[in-house]
Amino acid sequence: MIRSIDVSAVLRQAVRATYADLVTRATGRAVREHIEQAYVAADLADVARMDFTGVRCIDYSCADEIVAKLLRGRIRVLVLRGCSEAHLEALGPVLEGHGLAALLERDDGTLDGLGPRATAEALLEELVTLRLAARSAGGVVALVAA
Amino acid sequence: MTLLVDVPAHFDDRSFDQLAGGFARAIAEGGRLLFDAHATEWASPYGLVGLLAAGQAARAASRETPLLTAPTAPEVQSYWARAGFFAAAKDLFEIHGKVPRVKPAADSEVLLPVTAVRAADDVHEVVGRIQQRATAILSSELGIDPKATMGFAMALSEACQNIVEHAGTGGWVAVQSYHWRRRLARQVVVIAVADAGMGFRASLEPTQGRRFGDRWSDATALEAALVQGVSRFRDPGRGQGLKGIRNYLSRWDGKIAIRSGTARIAIAPSWDDDVPLAEGLPSFPGSQVLVIVPEQKARH
Repeated sequence: MIRSIDVSAVLRQAVRATYADLVTRATGRAVREHIEQAYVAADLADVARMDFTGVRCIDYSCADEIVAKLLRGRIRVLVLRGCSEAHLEALGPVLEGHGLAALLERDDGTLDGLGPRATAEALLEELVTLRLAARSAGGVVALVAA
Repeated sequence: MTLLVDVPAHFDDRSFDQLAGGFARAIAEGGRLLFDAHATEWASPYGLVGLLAAGQAARAASRETPLLTAPTAPEVQSYWARAGFFAAAKDLFEIHGKVPRVKPAADSEVLLPVTAVRAADDVHEVVGRIQQRATAILSSELGIDPKATMGFAMALSEACQNIVEHAGTGGWVAVQSYHWRRRLARQVVVIAVADAGMGFRASLEPTQGRRFGDRWSDATALEAALVQGVSRFRDPGRGQGLKGIRNYLSRWDGKIAIRSGTARIAIAPSWDDDVPLAEGLPSFPGSQVLVIVPEQKARH
């Protein structure tokens, strides 16, 4: 089972304010550290799902502090869900800039790669191998229901 | 001794160097500065936040509160008040002349009145406020896809964060929408951000100065930051902010110009005749950023 992170809830807990926007490095750092501490405390696996539902805006600095640094550190496979096109405007270039990839969970549960194609393909294969996702006859990969 | 610094009659990013020249001369002479805006007929958001940065720098240089004569034209006074200039200026200047009691941001042109930016919380406040007002303006008046208006908030956030991350002092931001008859004959939304902090050269010097050697200057520092995406931090994720602003502006035919120290760099679209890089300008502390998003041509 993949551990799911409600980013909007973590934002509220981490900065103790009613912000709906993931902006500034300081905020990104606080959110990332909150997630990292939770992972250390629970000794969780290095595959995670991050839910951006409820997050209004994310800027490049915050995307870098949270997503890029988690992928360069504690988390190896990151599934992003609840992402709007606006979120992807920040997340996409940040991942590309680092040569990192993540997986994007669509509303229907199917997964797409975000970032360098080969790296994203490898992540999809890894989820399939771990039986956290399955590939349909048409080649589409979707998360397996818990 | 009180030294006069004239505020140009038409005060925007182009005429800012006149103010910077007067400021540099006055600072060199030493004494209390008087910023004379009595004859100023118009000021852009860039002019307003730039004047606040000048007040900030004057206080830091002379340890005396600088003087400011307010514009005498009632409509100019009213506009400066609505744009939030006087509310911010009262903490920096001893103001002479009439200051109307008008609440900032009372009209549709002022998307964000002059707002102080000192810390990350201020950036959150700015981004939160702009999204309520700018989204409708960007899509209905500028013809920008509503889905892409969040990119504007991202660009604004990154521009403000340059103050928090690099200036070493506070600064100001203002956002306005207006019809730019003089140069473009189209509606534009303008972001202006200014501070009187350390500027790009001092910020980047510890990590970049040696790499550039004798060529190191305000101009090369601006090029390194805006064109090469260099940051003073060694973290590989740094420098994304200005790059992100550039990407957003290239998609919407927008412009960015940054002045710092004695140089000014601009990435200008075809509708603008600004020079890419100007050097040897009058020295002015900190950084002053201008972002312009025009009404989209197809719609126009």
